[in-house]
Amino acid sequence: MTIDSTTLTQVPVTLERARVLRIPRSPKVIAGLVILGVFSVVAIIGRWITPYSPNATDTQNWVQHVLVPGTGGDSGFPASYYPLPLGPSAAHWLGTTVFAQDAWSQLLASTQATMFVGLLAAAIATVLSIIFGVTAGYIGGATDEGLSLVANVSLAIPGLPLLIVLADYVPSAGSSLVLVAAIIAVTTWAYTARTLRAQTLSLRNRDFVEASRVSGEGPLRIIGVEILPNLIPIVAASFLFTSLTAIYAYVAISFLGLAGSPTGSPPGLWNWGEMLREGFANNAVRGGWWWWWAPPGICVALLGTGLALVNFGIDEFINPRLRTSGLTARAARKAGAHVSTTLGLTPVMRGAATVPNTTPSTADAVLEIRGLSVDYGYGDQAVHAVRDCDLVLRRGRVLGLAGESGSGKTTLALAAIRLLRAPAVITEGQVLFHSKPFTRDNPKETIDMLAAGPHRLREIRWSEIAVVLQSSLNALNPVTTIGAQFDDLLRAHRPRMSRDERYTRGVELLDMVGMNGDRLRSYPHELSGGMRQRAMIAMALALEPQVMVLDEPTTALDVVTQREILEELMGLRDRLGFAALFITHDLSLLVEFADDIAVMYAGRLMERAPANSLFRAPRLPYTHGLLHCFPPMHGKRVPMAGIPGSPPDLRDLPSGCAFHPRCKWALDQCKHDVPVLGSIPGPNREVACWLHRNGATPPAELSLAEPGDVMRERLSQVNIQ
Amino acid sequence: MTTAPVLEGRNLTKYFWVKQGRGLLARKSPVHAVDNVSVSLDARKVTAFVGESGAGKTTVARILAEITKPDKGTVLLDGKPVQAGRPRSYAKQVQMVFQDPFASLNPVHRVRHDLERPLKIHHLVNGNTDKAVDDLLERVALKPPRQFADKFPHELSGGQRQRVAIARALAVKPRVLIADEPVSMLDVSIRLGVLNLLADLRDREKLAILYITHDIASARYLADTIVVMYAGQLVEAAPSVELTDRPAHPYTQLLLSAAPDPDRAQPPVLAGIGAPPSLLAPPTGCRFHPRCPHVMEVCRHKAPPSIAVSPDHIAACWLHVDPAERQASENGVLATGPLEPEKSKR
Repeated sequence: MTIDSTTLTQVPVTLERARVLRIPRSPKVIAGLVILGVFSVVAIIGRWITPYSPNATDTQNWVQHVLVPGTGGDSGFPASYYPLPLGPSAAHWLGTTVFAQDAWSQLLASTQATMFVGLLAAAIATVLSIIFGVTAGYIGGATDEGLSLVANVSLAIPGLPLLIVLADYVPSAGSSLVLVAAIIAVTTWAYTARTLRAQTLSLRNRDFVEASRVSGEGPLRIIGVEILPNLIPIVAASFLFTSLTAIYAYVAISFLGLAGSPTGSPPGLWNWGEMLREGFANNAVRGGWWWWWAPPGICVALLGTGLALVNFGIDEFINPRLRTSGLTARAARKAGAHVSTTLGLTPVMRGAATVPNTTPSTADAVLEIRGLSVDYGYGDQAVHAVRDCDLVLRRGRVLGLAGESGSGKTTLALAAIRLLRAPAVITEGQVLFHSKPFTRDNPKETIDMLAAGPHRLREIRWSEIAVVLQSSLNALNPVTTIGAQFDDLLRAHRPRMSRDERYTRGVELLDMVGMNGDRLRSYPHELSGGMRQRAMIAMALALEPQVMVLDEPTTALDVVTQREILEELMGLRDRLGFAALFITHDLSLLVEFADDIAVMYAGRLMERAPANSLFRAPRLPYTHGLLHCFPPMHGKRVPMAGIPGSPPDLRDLPSGCAFHPRCKWALDQCKHDVPVLGSIPGPNREVACWLHRNGATPPAELSLAEPGDVMRERLSQVNIQ
Repeated sequence: MTTAPVLEGRNLTKYFWVKQGRGLLARKSPVHAVDNVSVSLDARKVTAFVGESGAGKTTVARILAEITKPDKGTVLLDGKPVQAGRPRSYAKQVQMVFQDPFASLNPVHRVRHDLERPLKIHHLVNGNTDKAVDDLLERVALKPPRQFADKFPHELSGGQRQRVAIARALAVKPRVLIADEPVSMLDVSIRLGVLNLLADLRDREKLAILYITHDIASARYLADTIVVMYAGQLVEAAPSVELTDRPAHPYTQLLLSAAPDPDRAQPPVLAGIGAPPSLLAPPTGCRFHPRCPHVMEVCRHKAPPSIAVSPDHIAACWLHVDPAERQASENGVLATGPLEPEKSKR
């Protein structure tokens, strides 16, 4: 039931903030806005700045006659002549039509009606779709089914034919722009209505809507004040899209002569479709008089482009992922990071990985992290998520990594095995994987994880270093069975295994995590959360990795399941001898299950000690506070205070020790100088705190006696009834 | 037990209907989310509902908040049945705080809007709304209030957001506050702050609080009474220290042994592994019987009665029924001879 917001919250939050504050100012959006701006100005004043009246015939430049088709000769009608259209000239910038009318003036005058109808139709369609979509989505039930049926039926009818029939059928359609717009709107509203309905359905059950219902708010206000503002980006995007469709539709029916004539009533309402129609009807294409038909066509395309470009911007605004993908690779290169084209590799800043000293610091070290720093973003925008962290994971041991959301624990672990994607970037440090022999000629191998290429990393990942994440439902493929996923994995990494061997291995693996072999036939959704997480663990163990990274593996599970799974995992650790890096926010759990614990705060490692020492005799004020945040299960109930204040914002860290504003023992020095992790008396103890430096006497709470040599009961001895 | 409860739910039952199968053969089956649960909330008391996910805690909360309609049973406010449709007068008495403070505040509105609306809906202010908003923010220890009133939710931390959500619930001066996992989404270091705030509101404003949680340690810390739910039913209810120190129901014992507890000297023995049953076809008899280490024949067939283990301590378990009586009910159910009842706990 707990869904802890610990993992990687920092970046999405930053993007969220950026979203609220501004629409992305990309070149695309600016170009689109400029195009729309120009057309809008022309639409407003165009009719009044035409050099000629669009209907006027220029008799002065009437040079040559053209036979009107169907007159003279054998036709039986007396020959009738048009003037020859003139090409562009100083007097007529876009030449003249076959009626000796000024094409430029017609183009200017046409813009208004075209855009007016387009925008009005889009406005009507948007209002219709809001009424239908939001009402259907909010009320639900039979109302929803009825309204959705109407929308779906109108979607099923092909738009243009319906439009043609309607425009032709409504007798006075041609005489009124509003009527034309209304007809277009009726044929285009349904698509948006469906989108809005779907969005409203998801918003309807959101907690904030429920909360205002609980506070007694009426349905109209809930729709208008709580739901609609959240739909604005979508409404805006569909408004632009509908405008585009409406303009095309208007041009199309005008071209077919169904939207009234500029010479009819009301007179003078030229539009681009009308210009095209006149041109085509009078042989403009065959006559090569491009200045007559090309400009309205180009205008339609340009206006469409402008609307589409602005729409891109809104799309990026709604869905920030579209934005980061393009921008970050470029920004990363500019900032000097190696950006691999392969997906799923954490970029490393050039010059970050110095030639590492590859000697393991202890004989049984398997994963060694030295001075690792990880940023999100580049340059000034960078958020320092992890700074200067050292960790040594020892063979067969469980190292607990504790911290609150945003403390950088997941970032540290996933960056070390290069699993984080840009905009995360490793700016400094070394990560060494001291592998047991995994090629025959090499007795023991040390791999520099930051220098390793995609191929090398693929070799190591999963087979040597496996990861179990919090959300197992997302990690398992929903459309294939558990068995097929085991099979795929083994086929890829153990090509010599036969089909039967792979099956046997699958059953064996499930058995190892306490699941029946029949479950190989199950799909992930058929398993409970606990079962899925077990299957994930079995899969992680399939290739007998040397290192397991467990990122909040049981946070989403109930306590009973959590304990069962962790006990099994620790039993397997004793049997198979892998080392585990166990990341969680729950320090009380780590005290029970880890051998050593490292505590992170605001991106730095602050204390490191054997689990029991850390629990019985914490040296860091933060650890002390954290341990007093878990109410005890026994004894008298006493009021507890927790830690005052809240975890810091990584973009705006306090100076000196990041914990000093919340620390009751803070010294003056803590406000200015960042403490570094250093050894203190005790077994393998390190702490980053000024209270333990320079001969200072730490407060009594932070200098409790070490808890002796009591060997903790190993969990392998647990007996489960 | 001298005062009458403020809010009471009697024999609440709620089924959710889900489709099974596909196409024409699809039929709807009920998920027994909540079965015959009775609960009463007293003024100046925190009652905690504890259980695993799917135990029905949240459904009970939503029924009491009148968001969900029960299929059976009644909700009584001050002893009077509540009329359907969540009238405003009810909203003024019973308020709710949701689990996820990141979802329960509308991202497009400032804090001020969230706090003003309830005041305006219920006509609680005339004139100086700013003052009322400031007071509310101060009551949940967001100081200085002026700094918080004009912020958007994304500018606040999780703990601050949850305080705003609590302030919104307090705006109408309710008598009952239903808090559905109010701290489970918050960082460990700030959870106690919110729990202490709830304790403070109980004492200062005489609120009746329903605290829903899966964390039995926090329930022990905050609540006066703990009610344990399993698979849609109540299994045990007792004063919180009594319940955690002397659990009477095997499920409560399991829950306590599984809870993280660094003080433990010995690794715990988990008695009753496995998972909660499917609520589409709940087990007959006691719903915990497939997992129960003390299961007896009677448990498989007959739902256990609620037994007062000690004053104020109630457990729904056959272990606590007098053996002779148990025998009698068993014989009533079964023609075959009863099995030897296993030794009762520990």
